[in-house]
Amino acid sequence: MLTRNAAPPSSPCPLVSFDFHCQMSDRLLFPHNLNYGLDRGRRKHESLRLRAGFWESIKSGFLKNNTTQVIETPSAPQEEEEPLPQEFVLTEKTEPNGAVEQIIFSSGGDVDVYDLQALCDKVGWPRRPLSKLAAALKNSYMVATLHSIKKSPGSEGSDQKKLIGMARATSDHAFNATIWDVLVDPSYQGQGLGKALVEMLIRALLQRDIGNITLFADSQVVEFYQNLGFEPDPEGIKGVGNLEPQHHANPIMLLFW
Amino acid sequence: MDFVFGGCVQQIQQAYPSRCMELRWVSSRRKRIIDKEKRVLLPKKPLIPPALVPIYISTTPSHINPEELKDLYSASNHSCHRFPSYVDSEGTVRVEPVDIHKLNVALSHSSVLVSVFCKPTDVLCATETWSSSSSSSSSSSLEDLIKPRKTLGLGDLFQKVLPVTPSNGQLVGFGRAVSDFGLTASIYDIMVIPSLRGMGIGRIIVKRIVRMLANSDVYDISAVCSENERLFFKACGFGDDILCSTTMIYSRNASTSHQGNQIVTRAGRKLLVAPPHREAP
Repeated sequence: MLTRNAAPPSSPCPLVSFDFHCQMSDRLLFPHNLNYGLDRGRRKHESLRLRAGFWESIKSGFLKNNTTQVIETPSAPQEEEEPLPQEFVLTEKTEPNGAVEQIIFSSGGDVDVYDLQALCDKVGWPRRPLSKLAAALKNSYMVATLHSIKKSPGSEGSDQKKLIGMARATSDHAFNATIWDVLVDPSYQGQGLGKALVEMLIRALLQRDIGNITLFADSQVVEFYQNLGFEPDPEGIKGVGNLEPQHHANPIMLLFW
Repeated sequence: MDFVFGGCVQQIQQAYPSRCMELRWVSSRRKRIIDKEKRVLLPKKPLIPPALVPIYISTTPSHINPEELKDLYSASNHSCHRFPSYVDSEGTVRVEPVDIHKLNVALSHSSVLVSVFCKPTDVLCATETWSSSSSSSSSSSLEDLIKPRKTLGLGDLFQKVLPVTPSNGQLVGFGRAVSDFGLTASIYDIMVIPSLRGMGIGRIIVKRIVRMLANSDVYDISAVCSENERLFFKACGFGDDILCSTTMIYSRNASTSHQGNQIVTRAGRKLLVAPPHREAP
């Protein structure tokens, strides 16, 4: 892919270039958009750049082969510290009939969308389109889940794995994060599981120096989050929701607790 | 290879917001001065002729120069942290300069980036008008405000005719949003340089962000803002949450909890403390 830099900005030819940048996956990767070579062959046109961008010049300095072709490896040169998925046993309980029930915490984010939908139904949340749920999970910064694994006594390999809790957070990976959708199966509530979920999220976020952690709490759960270290509306910060219901095909309500 | 002179270019991309680059005109005719004490919108003095300023709106991330953006943050006195500021020697509340590395990371992970450019000459005019009107509000004569016309050379005339583009323009406005492309999105960091405020640029930025999010089917958009930004968002059509949720922000800091082995992270003025690590039983 050729990258041509047009005449310097003082040229009298007013050229407004436009990009045919396609998205790689669903993320906008800021420095990559300057590198045409990254576009994985989906781009159909060349673009003319009016100026060599600041970032471009830095990049071409880094990559030695910079005459006309700038190829970048899929992994970005700058650190992309995604939260390391961890999985551990939160609690373990032995039932009277000898079965062992473990509650596993996982931050790997592998959630079956149908399981999640079922869990939302159990909690009493309105249904949301599955495709949107899947997209939201995929693009969240971190998805923490709780699964319950019941091991029946004596028989091998007949474990029952059930999703019983989830919490997710979206973030810009640097300054801000928002926690959404914290839910725990009603039959497992009251044991501190929700608290554990949120605490793990907070810990992971703070470990990455993401300091602004916000969430939107339903009135019944304001106290729950206060106990976790959240303050309601400090210094006049208000969350405002966009008031354009006429755009909804189906009104999507988002309940938080 | 196509050349486009001004105008709006629509591209159809698969289920993702189209990138538009547009030229617009903003007018200071309807510019309002907000009297901070009285909280009343005063119409701008009719003496000052309304300025029509051409701006270039871009949603293409590559048009943003990180250094320029950092300067814009400082010029707008905008902080990325919720507990940001300190009071400087003159008594004004100032924010710490934004960390450029973190800013780049944030930009690369923001779903929507909107930047507004303006010709440097227009910015200079606006700055002069703004500083003169803010400093001498009572006795500003007409002659002071309307500068004597100087003879324009051919080069100047040419510069006037040229449309503003990201390359010859100065970054004067910015906004970004983070979305999960499914259900929700959050708007952060809307800013316009002080001299060009009140002209509708901020509103254009917000409307563009909302439009791009709506293109990817996200209608639940939140914007966490401070008290003085609240009026702005209200004017843009944002209101209190439909479900009356309370906004909460994490603020457990070192002074309130004393436990060993804790993660402490700085968020502006505050030092936030992470909850203790949970061990398996």
